[in-house]
Order: sequence, then structure tokens, then C-alpha cells
Amino acid sequence: MTTTAGAATSVAAPGTREVSGARSRRRRHGDTKVAFVMLAPLVVLLAIFVIWPLLHAVYISFFTWSFYASSEFVGLDNYVNVLTDQAFLASVLRGLGFAAMVVPAQLVIAFAFANLVKSFSGRMAGLLKVTIYVPAVISEVIASIIFTIIYAYRGGILNWALSLVGRDDTAWLGETGTALPAIAVPAIWIGMGIASLIMLAGLLDIPEAYYEVASLDGAGWWAKMVHITLPLMKNIFLYLLVTGFAGSLQFLVVPLVMTNGGPLESTTLPNLFIFRHFTNDLYAGYPIAAALLLFLVLGSVSAVIFRLVRSEKAVDG
Amino acid sequence: MKRRALLGGLAGAAALAAAGCGSGKDSGSGGKTEVTIWQQKFTDQEDAWYKKAVAAYNAAQDKVKVVHQIVPADAWDQKMKAAQAAGKAPDVFTLNYNKVQGFARTSQIQALDGVIAADKWSGLQDSVVGSITYKGKKYGYPMLVEPSAVLYYRKDLFAKAGLDPEKPPASWAELIDYGKKLTTKQVSGFSTAGNQIDMGWSTWGLQWNAAGHLPISDDWSQPRATDPAYKQLLQAYQDLYKQGVMPKQPLAAYADATPFGQGKAAMMACGSWAASVLLSDFPKVVGNVAAAPMPSFDGDATKPTATLGGWTWVIDGKSTKAQAAADFIAYVLAGDPALLVDYFKTTKFSKYSPRTAVADTISSDPAAKENPWAQTIQDKVVKYAKPEPTYDWSISLAFGKAIEKALQGKDIDTALKEADAEIKDIIAKNNLAGQGTTS
Amino acid sequence: MTRLLVTIGKVFLAGLFLLSALFPLAWMLIAGFKSKTEVVQTPFQFFPEVWRWENYTQILEDPAFLRSIGVTFVGALLFAALSLVVNSLGAYAFARLDFAFKRTLWVVVITTMFIPGIAIMLTSFIVVTQLHMLDTMAVLVVPGAASGLQVFFLRQYYLGVPVALEEAALIDGAGRWRIFLHIFTPISKGALVVVGVTSFLAFWNAYVWPVLTITDANLFQIQQYLATFRSDRSSELGLLMAGSTLAALPVILLFLAFQKQIIGGIRISGMK
Repeated sequence: MTTTAGAATSVAAPGTREVSGARSRRRRHGDTKVAFVMLAPLVVLLAIFVIWPLLHAVYISFFTWSFYASSEFVGLDNYVNVLTDQAFLASVLRGLGFAAMVVPAQLVIAFAFANLVKSFSGRMAGLLKVTIYVPAVISEVIASIIFTIIYAYRGGILNWALSLVGRDDTAWLGETGTALPAIAVPAIWIGMGIASLIMLAGLLDIPEAYYEVASLDGAGWWAKMVHITLPLMKNIFLYLLVTGFAGSLQFLVVPLVMTNGGPLESTTLPNLFIFRHFTNDLYAGYPIAAALLLFLVLGSVSAVIFRLVRSEKAVDG
Repeated sequence: MKRRALLGGLAGAAALAAAGCGSGKDSGSGGKTEVTIWQQKFTDQEDAWYKKAVAAYNAAQDKVKVVHQIVPADAWDQKMKAAQAAGKAPDVFTLNYNKVQGFARTSQIQALDGVIAADKWSGLQDSVVGSITYKGKKYGYPMLVEPSAVLYYRKDLFAKAGLDPEKPPASWAELIDYGKKLTTKQVSGFSTAGNQIDMGWSTWGLQWNAAGHLPISDDWSQPRATDPAYKQLLQAYQDLYKQGVMPKQPLAAYADATPFGQGKAAMMACGSWAASVLLSDFPKVVGNVAAAPMPSFDGDATKPTATLGGWTWVIDGKSTKAQAAADFIAYVLAGDPALLVDYFKTTKFSKYSPRTAVADTISSDPAAKENPWAQTIQDKVVKYAKPEPTYDWSISLAFGKAIEKALQGKDIDTALKEADAEIKDIIAKNNLAGQGTTS
Repeated sequence: MTRLLVTIGKVFLAGLFLLSALFPLAWMLIAGFKSKTEVVQTPFQFFPEVWRWENYTQILEDPAFLRSIGVTFVGALLFAALSLVVNSLGAYAFARLDFAFKRTLWVVVITTMFIPGIAIMLTSFIVVTQLHMLDTMAVLVVPGAASGLQVFFLRQYYLGVPVALEEAALIDGAGRWRIFLHIFTPISKGALVVVGVTSFLAFWNAYVWPVLTITDANLFQIQQYLATFRSDRSSELGLLMAGSTLAALPVILLFLAFQKQIIGGIRISGMK
């Protein structure tokens, strides 16, 4: 999951506007010098290790790019080939479907968890908070192997547990119908901790007074949930939506280790599709073009969601 | 004060980066030429042998220093491509037979004829030399061959199911029939590759067996996947799966014999290397296991059922130390047979040497008896096996996909037609027509 | 009566959360005590026949394990520190300062969050090769330290710090550096801990980048070490699980040590 510490959402701070007010008293761009010094390490490192490689990759995507023969300029051919490749489009759609399983599940679990923690006090709440975060210390490779062991057709604990209630062995990773949901489970598991803590943070940020007033008005649990909690948590949901979406479209290791993309491509997520071409193709232009297109998809969908978040409360750059 | 501390921190970070710049190591350790070899991660015992072989060469002469690197298999492609892109590829690396010609065609590796003397090539199996030859030149030095598909079966479970433990299935009908008899709630009758990638390569021998050719014409100009003879192959997989003889989910990767050792399957298709896993991890099971060739579609046991996979050593196309690298290869692979015999010993004689001198020493080694299946495999599988196909992997994958479709219950004719179309497309996109060599 | 039911329901739900979060880890721990052929054996066995403590002791006695875990730990600390310095400075500038090209720079920084790793894997490897950074600690620590995601997180946090706090300091004539160090840094300790921990974890779990850039066994990272137990042809599952458990322990301990800050730090408004 790439949704690491992105914790803070655009739940804008009170005072943002005032800053601009204070600033307007000073001359425009008055902090340029000090700002550039402060930004220098960030910008220099990003420029060298991210932006330049990205520009180089964009350049390469217009070539066949072979490391041994001379590379041939092919214009937009790589992009055209990617976009006309049914398998690529199918993998992106599959990725969206996968995201549609992972993200809502994560939101629901995290929301339920946060509410539960809030209702407990002291030690129990602390225990829950720590526990939920622990899966984050396991790498994706290891997590995938653990879940493969759990799902094993014969000798796996899941089928064993089900056999106790009389069910025959189930091919969780072997049937086209169950494989994608089955690999969604470790994906949810890995990201659950951070999503839950962010959700909890948002929940704790709602002033208790709101609930007290509502109680005095005779509002029940459900009314408080619908009229106070959910509206005030909207930005958190949107934030987790963006990061969760971007993260789940980029899963590679989980399907690679657990199913190798099968059965019948049912778990070939976009990054795995690109990875396949990266390892099998004689030229690197095509997979790089495909990765850049995926970048475009991620960036633009996220931009739309960000805009939505921003329109709620202005957090302007 | 604080500001200074902060700047100090930044300076530290910069120094760290600079330290990186400074310590780039160059070759030339004591005037010696440095040659690098990358080896894919195999078993610990094999890795140890590589280390030993490198050490032996480094001790045997003082002009060249060979630097040895083990690369995890699951990151091999990324590491290799990154190194190639940056001009940092190793001088020598391990490569499968089926990739040699493609690598040669794209100049990723260089011809060895000029750097390894002609006499070093004598005594190698012709068919294996064919696999590493491209346009008349030899591009890799063969190290070992291992047949991709052998049928292992449990004699005790055969007896229990009322089958004759001395009579393995000779036809696919028998295989399916026996499989049904052997299947219980806990044990699958037969276990084999279950996804398109594993099926893409593990069925090469069966593709030969079913149709007498691979799903592409010899000169690679036309797809041949719609040959009706392939239907029986796809049908067999479909039946095995539908009738529950094969597990509904692969018990492990095709190459991993562990589930069979654990008793999860009564018969298993796996490469000859399975022997070393069974011998070292499941000594108690060994006495109950027999090996046989995979059944032939028409019952003719002299038709191929397997291809000969394995590893060669190649020299990077851009290596500037080709002669030094080649001398090293020749020392290890074409030199004293004892060094290589040691390798086949550590792998419990589950692989075969394409070099007569080595093969002879091995067969006269009393320790070879340790592997009870080696002789059967040699006589009944290796003897009739074909070399691996040398066309692009995507073609094999297209056919693997067709088998997987059949497995998952899709229409067989359609599956073959789609594979045919895909192969045609690959031929066109990669300009393969006419590149093929007869084999 | 309803109250009791609700409590029971809540405790049950809490138990379910604990179980689903911890079970896979417990299964890894238990599998670490099994032999390689026992991990997914039939008939199914929950606990190992014999508890193979030697799986754990063998790894603990392996100098390569100790070295890789030590090197990775040091690297992760350096990485977390560098990530904190670089990203918090940048975040502060974006949150509070008014400068030329701010909007453009912001968009550039934020977009880096969405670049699929595989798109720039080869080209960034070319960069570090040309900078002669291969086989140094620097190649692990420096390239990933600047992160759009972390800057974004911290900036949101800084935006929540009441402006009144720095107004007073500005009037007193304090410079931006002073405000950053004496007001923002202490007040956002929690958020900084989050950045530190997540950076640490990212470094700890990195696999492909170290494989690409590190060939010197003295610099091998913990995930590279664990990879030696994996193979297509028969993995050392017992050892792999034991090793993964041992590799997770220092991180879990670190997490426990900082748990208060992590949980506090994730509060969004920053002010309680």
C-alpha cells in the first residue's frame, strides 16, 4: 500500500484564511528567499531521483528502447499499442473492480473500528489501537506468502476450519470467481491499520459538545451518526478514497506471489500486466508507456477527488 | 544555534550522498581483470557449488578475479534489465536454453566460438548444442539438462486403490482412469501445472507428443495451434480438472514437488529435479515412489513427452572482457569433469550432463544409485526428449493460456483458435517470420 | 438488559478485530516453529509436532541475519531522519510561506505521489549508477527520502496550527527558521513521529530497490536476507516464517515505544 502517512486530510485548519490575511500585509512573494532555502533539499532530491527519471522515462516511451541494439524512434506507437491492447484495458478495469472491493471494505472496517475504539476507554482502547496497526510492519511479500499458506487447497487452515462444519475443500485462488476477492483480503489487511487510525483521528476531532447538544434534543444513536458523524467525516472518507484508490490500483506483489495473475487473468491487475511485459518483452518502451498511462489515470482520477475535497473547505496552496 | 544544528544535519545528508559518490569501486583489484558472474538463486547446495567453482578458478590462476553474485529469482528480471539499461550487466550469467537464441538475435549475448577453443566443444550432445546455436554460431556453454516432465507416482497408493504398482499409466485415458481411482477426499489423483505460465513451459513435451510439432511452423512464419491433434491435449486437461482428479487449485508451483512428498497427490508431473527434493526432504516416502515417462497420446512410448530444460552460461553482449570471461567458463564447464561431477552429486543426480566425459563419470559413480529414478528417467524420458523451443516466451504463454481456458471449462476449439490468432499477432509484431530454425 | 447486550456485542466485535489483525501474524509465528514440509501438510495440524526452536535459533545465530538486520536498522533510522528534515522543511514552506512559483511547485511535488514505481525504476537506476552510488548506504537512504506523500501529510498538519502562535513571534522579530524550529517542530511532534515511523517501515520492507542496487553482502538488507529462503522449487517455509517473525519484532517494539505519539500524532487538527 502506498497510502502511508498521508494521514492528514484536507480537513482544513481554522486559521488558514487568517494566514493569508497576515501575509497580505507583507509584500507579495516576500518569503521567496527563505522558502527556496527550505525547499531546496526537497526539490533537489525530487528533481534528481524522481522528476529527471520521470522525464527520461517519458522520452524513452517514444522509442523501442533496447539496451543492445540501437533504439528506434517510434513516436506514439507504444502508447497506441497499449491503448489498443484489450488486455491492458481489461487489467485497468479489473484494477478498478479490485479497488471497488478493497476501498469500501477498508472504509467500512476502519469506520466501525474507530467507532468501537471511541466507545471503549483506557486500556482496551489502547490495546485496540496498537493491535490494528501491527500488520503494517509486515512486508507485502511476506503477507502474501502468509495468506497463500492460509488459502492452501490442501492443508490450509481456512479449508480445515471449513471442513469442521462439513464443507469440502474450496479452491479460493483456483476459481475465477473467488480469486480476486481472495487476494483482496490481504490487500485490505495490510492497509487496515493506517486507514483505521486515520478514521479514528477524524472521529476524535469532532467536538464532543455536538453530541451532547444532540442528546439534549433527544437524538438517538442513529440520528447522531447521520447528522453529525457522517457529515463531519466526509473529508476523511474522501481522503481515504483517494489514497486507497491509488494504492489498490497499484498492487503488484500480492497477485504476483499469490496467483501469478490467474486463473484466466482474473487477478492480473494493471501493475502486474505492466510487470509481465517488463520482464518478457525484448524492448522496454511498451511497459514504460503503459506505466505512464497508469500514472495518468491515477493522477487525473485523484485530481478530481482532490478537487472535491478542496471544494469543501478551501485549503489553497 | 538551532539553525546551525539544522544546517549541520543537511550537510550530513549531503556528505552521505557525497560519500556514495566517492566510494564507487572500480575493477582492477591488484592489476587483475575483474569478471563478474550472476547466478540465479538455486538451492543452498547448488549456490555453495557455484561459490566453490568460482573460488577454484580464482585460486587456479592469477590474472583474473571472478566476482560471484547470487540474484533472487523473483527479482532477476528487474535487476538484469536495470543493470543492462545502465551498462552494468555482468560479464557472465546463467540463462535457460529456450532464451539463448532470442538473446543472441537481439545481441544481448555474444558468440563464444571465437573465445572458447573448438576442442572444448567436443563431446557435447548434438541436440543441446543445437539449442545454443544461432545462425551457425554458439552462444552459450551448456551446463546441465533436466527433462521438464516426468510422472512420479506412489506405489503404495496404487496398491491400495487396486492398481498394479509396477504398471504406470501408458495412455492419457489410463492416467485419467487411474487418477479417478486414486482420488480421495484428502488426496488428489494427479497433480500438475495449473496456471498458464507453468503450463506454457511444462507442456512443451506434451505439445510435441500430441501433434508432432509445436504450435508454430518450423520457420516461425505461421501459427499451427489449430492443428486438431492438440484437441486431445486440451481435452485431457479439461477432463482431469472437471472430474476432480487434478486439484482445483495448484498445490504449489509446477516445479515444487513438496505437495507430492507430503502425500497430497498420488501421481505428479514434475521435472527430474523433483528427485532431489524428495530425497532430501521426504526420505520416508522415497521407497514408495516410482518414476515413469508421462503417457503418450497414442501409447507410443518412444515419442517425446518432455523437453530438456536447464542452464547454460553466457557472456553479455557488451562485455569488454569476453576472453577472460570465456576462459573462466571453459575452466568450470569444459575443464576437469570432477568439478562438475561434484555439482551433479550435490543435486542428487537429479540433473544430467550434456557432456559425455561428465555423464560417463557420473554413471560409473556408485553414489548415483542414491537416486532410484535416475536410470528410468535417463532411459525412458531424456532419450526421447526434445530440446526446448527457442521462440519468444509470449508464444509459449499464448498456448499455455489455451490449455488454461480448456481447464477452466471453456470451449476447446475456441481456445485453440484464440491462441492461433495471438501467435499470429506475435509473429507479426516481432518480425519472427523466417527466424525459426528447424528443431 | 439491552445495555448488557450492547456491551457483549462490542466486546465480541473488538475480539473480531483483534483476531483478524493478529491471526495471520500468529500463524506466521507458529509456522516458524514447523519444519518446511510441515507448514501446509495434510492432514492439517494446527501446532507443530515438535516445536522447532532451532528454526529461530539458527537464524539468530546466522551472522548474515544479524548483520542485515543491523544494517537495515541503521539505514532505516537514517532514512527516517533524512525524510523528516527534508519533508518537514518543504511542508512548512508550502503551508506558511508566500513565494514565487508556489502553485507550480506544489503541483509537481504532489504529483510525484502517483508515479508507479515501475515507470521510473530503470531510469532512476541509471541516475544512481551515474552518481556512483551503487553499493553504498546512500543509494538506499537518499533517493526515496523526499516524498510527495509525506510533504502532503505534514503540510495539512501545519495548516492546522493556529496562526496566532507565530504572529506573536513574527512581531517579536523572529525569523522563519526560528518559528519553524521553536514553534512548529515541537507542536507537531506527533505528526513527525508518524512520518518517521512510516518512513522507517517503508525502508524496512523495501525489497526490489536493495536487490537492484546492493551487491555487497555487508550492506544486504533484511528483505534480501529473507529472500534467500524462497525458491520456485521448494521454499524453506519454516525458516522463512521464523525469519519474518524475527524481522518484524524490532519494528513492533519500536512501534510500541512510540505508540502514544503515533496515535496522538494522527489527530488531524493538531491541537487538542
